[in-house]
Amino acid sequence: MRKRWLLLLTGTLALVGSLIVGPAATAKSEAPAAGTVIIGHDQEPTTLNFYISEGNLYATSLAMSPVLVGGMIYNDKAKLIPVLFDGEPKILKAEPLTVTFRYKANAKWSDGRQITGNDFLATYRTIMNPNWDITSREGWEDIASVKVKGKTVTVTWKKGKAYAAWDALVATSPMPAHKVAGQNFNDLWRDSIDIASGPFKFLSRQKGTQLVLARNDAYTAGPKAKLDRIVFRYIPSTPSIFQALQSGEIQVTEPQPQLQIVDIRKNPRFKVQSGPGYFWEHMDIQFGPKGHPALKQKYIRQALIQGINRAQVREALYVRPGLVGSVKELPVLQSHIFKPFEQYYQPNWGIWKFSQRNVIATLKKGGCTGGPDVPTANNDKIWTCPGVGKLSFRFTTTSGNQLRALTFEIAQKQLRSVGIELVPRFGPAGTVFGQVLPSGDWDIFMFTWVGGPTSSATSFGLYGCGGDQNYMNYCNKKASDLLKKAQFTPDPNERAKLLNQAEKIMAQDVMSIPMYVRPGFLINATSVKGPILNPTQQGSTWNAETWTVSA
Amino acid sequence: MLTYVIRRLLYSIVVLVAASFIIFTFVSVSADPLSFLKMQPTASEITIQNITKRKHLDEPIPVRYLYWVKDALTNKFGTTTIGDRPILPDLTRVMGHTLQLVVAAELLAVIIAVAIGVFSALRQYSAFDYAATTFSFVGLATPVFWLGLMLQVLFVNIYLWFDVRIFYTANLSGVDPGTGLHFLLDRIQHLALPIMTLMVASIASYSRYMRSSMLEVINSDYVRTARAKGLPERRVTMRHAFRNALIPLVTIVALNFGSLLGGAVVTETVFALDGMGLYFVNQLNAGDPYPVMAWLMVTATMVIVFNLIADIAYGYLDPRVRYD
Repeated sequence: MRKRWLLLLTGTLALVGSLIVGPAATAKSEAPAAGTVIIGHDQEPTTLNFYISEGNLYATSLAMSPVLVGGMIYNDKAKLIPVLFDGEPKILKAEPLTVTFRYKANAKWSDGRQITGNDFLATYRTIMNPNWDITSREGWEDIASVKVKGKTVTVTWKKGKAYAAWDALVATSPMPAHKVAGQNFNDLWRDSIDIASGPFKFLSRQKGTQLVLARNDAYTAGPKAKLDRIVFRYIPSTPSIFQALQSGEIQVTEPQPQLQIVDIRKNPRFKVQSGPGYFWEHMDIQFGPKGHPALKQKYIRQALIQGINRAQVREALYVRPGLVGSVKELPVLQSHIFKPFEQYYQPNWGIWKFSQRNVIATLKKGGCTGGPDVPTANNDKIWTCPGVGKLSFRFTTTSGNQLRALTFEIAQKQLRSVGIELVPRFGPAGTVFGQVLPSGDWDIFMFTWVGGPTSSATSFGLYGCGGDQNYMNYCNKKASDLLKKAQFTPDPNERAKLLNQAEKIMAQDVMSIPMYVRPGFLINATSVKGPILNPTQQGSTWNAETWTVSA
Repeated sequence: MLTYVIRRLLYSIVVLVAASFIIFTFVSVSADPLSFLKMQPTASEITIQNITKRKHLDEPIPVRYLYWVKDALTNKFGTTTIGDRPILPDLTRVMGHTLQLVVAAELLAVIIAVAIGVFSALRQYSAFDYAATTFSFVGLATPVFWLGLMLQVLFVNIYLWFDVRIFYTANLSGVDPGTGLHFLLDRIQHLALPIMTLMVASIASYSRYMRSSMLEVINSDYVRTARAKGLPERRVTMRHAFRNALIPLVTIVALNFGSLLGGAVVTETVFALDGMGLYFVNQLNAGDPYPVMAWLMVTATMVIVFNLIADIAYGYLDPRVRYD
């Protein structure tokens, strides 16, 4: 009896074992398929059509930018370089702004048809068609005319509406006119795409698992890709991405900042690149009626920014854990409009240094009472200021983000030691961004703006009076006028001058607190040669045609 | 019995309707599916207005709920808010993947748990019994996400040490899974770790149920009578004790299976399995009530159906139980 049970148990275990271990017996060390690079990403595109709102994800751009390339693309220095264009576009007239560009003689679609000005015209018409869920029509809606002659295109904007980021606009990936004609654009290229203008073309897709691109042998506008295939594998859990990387299931990834990166840096099998990108973390301050009345007082806002040691926050989050090599790689952000690596960056917010004694002195000068006389780590006295009450502010940000939680803890402790209280109001991203932020019912809101090289030109929307995304309800007429003027100034030097002038005013107002530019990371196995980190939304596949892989 | 079944189904419809309204309200109130679009500094107002109008986002929630009910009944659960993508094909796909995972995990778990439970009961207070008890407690206490990650770390290190891949750490299949037997082996290699992760907790709890149920039965009068009649011990155990001890476990497994079909969220996220759980998490994060409601309807129906199956099975297996 006993023997039978033992035998049954053993048999069961053996059955289970054979099902599990069996494959291992025949498994052998894997050699990646020749010429295939596997990229791991934590988000899958829902559609392959990156022109529409559903496709407005970095994941879509990452997968599709080698397939549908632009007239120009952003390189790793965030500079536009011609790809389908035979040179940089030229300004024919400043007012009304008129520019011209030409597609290369050998630029053609994967089906053999030439890429011509008609494709750009089709792109313009499709974008302007109100029936399609196009993500952004900014710049396009102010175009007065598009004239086409073969491969040459001339675009004229309306008088007084010169679009500042015109070069990025005309560089947009052209749509194939012969493919989009008569189609429901919202449904086009949802799961597959049968046309390409870049060094790769779509091969196959297994939804929920992977997307495969193959070399486009018909590509002649530039060097042909060296790889046979690029495979995107979708793994939503970041720890799992690192495990897949270690086990060789993926070879390239762009992870969010994670402590595992520190270990990967020490591993000779991998190369880790890091650098600032166009994501900047900041704390907005609410000026509207639903915000704390104290925040409408300039001296209190000035006290707030001086009470947070932004350098220390940056160091605690990224430098000390070893995520970035040194503080030089991640300077404290002293501008909302330009990034430290940009040519026109000026440290306008550098006038506010961390000084706890200054905070106390400023608040006392303003007539506030009840707070500490000197900064102390265990302080529990909170200031009360005339006409505005206790300096206790709701601090809103997304939940489930370790780095944000740590930032809050550091800022809370620093401010508490000088008598200012921060009360956490964390919530899921969908809720805080969808409901709380637009409602204005918050005091301090910390989040990341995701922008690009052209973001500075459209700062009016964020900081101008009545701007679409000015959720702070901040309004300084002088600054707003400068921002609006900059939006329609095509000359980059003139535009930068206006923007920096506006920001000097904004810095005095302390309408927001810039924290740091979030670093981007690119990790690749050393068997893969060629990937270079790109700080823009172009993505790490911007130079995929130069990549090679060894067994 | 038929009256009982019909009555249960009617109650279930009322429960489903109430649950659907509550969930729809909560999801609609707590998140805005257009939030990610509105956060873009250059987002087109025309697009935002078009989607708002098309998906009735400017209507009161009860009105939106009724639109959803209409779509659910006449348009196969409707389409997503952003992109107007049909929901049913995605749901069918992820359901298939979850079924593979859950069926395999439950089947193996039941086989192993029954064997452990019976042997533990027959050899109560033996070394094996203590070991099995310890394993059960550890298994029940271990967080699923931790176990999943540890299994990944273990097999990654085996690969690094011996240059032989036994199992994969992510996704349902390889880059080139092939066909036929090659596809099957590839799928097993990818599902092995998630199945193991799910199995541990199931084995831990099922083996305890089986053990206590078996202990109760082997000390009962009719089993003593069977022994007294001179029947071989093996026959007494298998024919008389084991079958009756299995009854509670059958109902528990049926209940558990129904809820697992909603997707093992944590396991699917850790192992990047394109299943019901991950689908639910992604759609909830997107704040889109339509796919979340579709998931809810399918999952709730599964739970209700398997609850019913569990009750019916109990009545069938135990002649003392009657429904009317």
